[in-house]
Amino acid sequence: MADRVLKVNAFTTFDLLDGHVEGHGFEEEAFATLNVRTAREAPEEITLELELDNTELENVTPHADRVTLSADEARTFATELQKAADRVDETQP
Amino acid sequence: MPSKVERWKDEIYGSEIRDHLLRFAEEGWDAIPEDEHDAWFERFKWWGLYHQRKGQESYFMMRIGTPMGRMTPEQLRTVGEVARDYATGPVENPEFGDAYADFTTRQSIQLHWIKVEDIADIWDELESVGLSTIQACGDSWRNIVGSPVAGRDADELIDVWPIVQELHETFKGNDLYSNLPRKWKVAMTGDRRGSGQGDINDLAFEPAVKELEGEEVAGFNVNVGGGLSRKEPRFARDIDVFCRPENAADVAAGMSALFRDYGDRDDRFNARIKFLIDEWGPEKMRSVLQEEYMDYELPTAGQGLRDEYDYNAGRSDAHGDYIGVHDQHDGQNFVGLSVLVGRMGAADVIELADLAEDYGSEMIGLTQRQNVIVGDIADEDLDDFLDEDLLAEHSPEPHPFMRGSIACTGTEYCSLSIVETKNRMVRYGRWLRDNVDLPEGVNDFHIHLSGCTASCAQPQIADISLRGMKTRKDGDAVEAFDVGLGGGLGENPTFADWVEMRVPADEVPGYIANLLDAFEAERESPEQSFRDFVAERDEDELANLAESEETSYEDPYLGNTKLTWYPYAEDTAMDASPAPTNGQGEPLPSDD
Repeated sequence: MADRVLKVNAFTTFDLLDGHVEGHGFEEEAFATLNVRTAREAPEEITLELELDNTELENVTPHADRVTLSADEARTFATELQKAADRVDETQP
Repeated sequence: MPSKVERWKDEIYGSEIRDHLLRFAEEGWDAIPEDEHDAWFERFKWWGLYHQRKGQESYFMMRIGTPMGRMTPEQLRTVGEVARDYATGPVENPEFGDAYADFTTRQSIQLHWIKVEDIADIWDELESVGLSTIQACGDSWRNIVGSPVAGRDADELIDVWPIVQELHETFKGNDLYSNLPRKWKVAMTGDRRGSGQGDINDLAFEPAVKELEGEEVAGFNVNVGGGLSRKEPRFARDIDVFCRPENAADVAAGMSALFRDYGDRDDRFNARIKFLIDEWGPEKMRSVLQEEYMDYELPTAGQGLRDEYDYNAGRSDAHGDYIGVHDQHDGQNFVGLSVLVGRMGAADVIELADLAEDYGSEMIGLTQRQNVIVGDIADEDLDDFLDEDLLAEHSPEPHPFMRGSIACTGTEYCSLSIVETKNRMVRYGRWLRDNVDLPEGVNDFHIHLSGCTASCAQPQIADISLRGMKTRKDGDAVEAFDVGLGGGLGENPTFADWVEMRVPADEVPGYIANLLDAFEAERESPEQSFRDFVAERDEDELANLAESEETSYEDPYLGNTKLTWYPYAEDTAMDASPAPTNGQGEPLPSDD
């Protein structure tokens, strides 16, 4: 099997999330790691990294996905997440 | 642009850090400005001090570099006394007590719970017997690894001990090489075992012979750019250079100067020389070394001895370590003792030093498999030595599961780890010994357990590789391991194949038991090694070999130990930590 692509240590944002992958004609589930990363020096952007455990997946080759966000985009994203979290909280008893 | 660490290093680095450390030792923990902690802790590494993890503020790990793991009994006793007197924390470890020394995979010694206030006294004691913490960590020449029994081992081509001493003297405390872009790990092997494990070092001298000017010369082939870290493992690559023993310091100076000048100082993640040789290739590495750093014509590589290597090679016809009784050149014996996960209680360290001295030994050796060797035991004393009580605990004939286990520091002290490691590996070893029958003919079985992807326990080069992860079990997040199989060094070094992800920590022993059952049932013959068995199988076959399962094994550390201040405290909550403390170990008032 292929090794993980992303490193995982105590500084990884989430080392245990539920992940799904969907394609044309298939849908699979696996545990995932998700990490928020910025360069150590003079960061200009934010990187979100996501990797699903490749041992659980048959329809995609082992890989990690990355998207980059500007500071403004990251704030927009954070605001959306905050609002979504509030909505989830509101539905809790 | 140079990195932040490079800027800190530009301000203060190298030998001068000592004076600052002595000042902090005098003035106490509080004298280290809080907003400068990151910069000072980075610098302290050069003098062998790592600040411990969150919840353990004001406590340090201290590393003592012993070239090739070699010490005198007197030096070992001093290590034990320093551990006993200074390496005690607020809470005992349930397996190892209140004071102990860790023997590492790079043949150094690590002590924990060291307070900055004690550093001057500790240095005085260590340096009075010729030990030092200089460059044990940080961006410079690290401890040189190799066979501790060089010059004694009957199974060697060249005695490398004088050469390693020369390198140690030349490159420790040398301003020309004190500030490198990243760590610089050197291995020197002169034996036929491959015990230097040069394949996983930045610079490796491997034994070789070559005909030069009509004469067969014993020397070294030079390999560059090995290492396991950062999820980018590499074996050192052959740069087609043969080196006479008398030229080793010149070649080492040239290579480390090349790294100093060309290594990446902008991006620490890309700084190790393995990435430079990825970019350049071995031919350019050789030509730059030759043209810019050497003042003689480098010979091309000679004939190596790799086909004889058995150290951590997973062979079924040879033990891959130094455990047991071995012949010396001089007719005496060296005896390798198993130290489970490399940790020995301070009292045992002192007792071992006394024993060694009583038996006339002049050499103690730490091995890269976290074990210890006592040299110079005469034939007529051997039976008495083997009967000593201490050898019941640290045995020259351990069970294979106890013999082959390596573990890193883990969440007990380390900032990176995400799982508990050493105590768990001890419990795994005991459970496997008591509950699993090894297949006939299996005398060695290496399990390397690392707490994260940083690879400090060298997880990629073991029969079974365990690397810390998390999973969910009965609705709770629990500590777990990714599992790799079939790695090892030797003639054809191989990294493990990763076959399982997130096996709950309490199901790992059951997985190993099932795996060994499958190995016994399906192997070609009792002579086939586990490593060869794995190499013959494809990914699907390996993934289907065994299932994990719960057994009678109980794991007290399943919860998230990285969130504790200390995993074995009665109250593990972060806010129950007494740290930071003063020089007497008393909690300091909080700023809150």
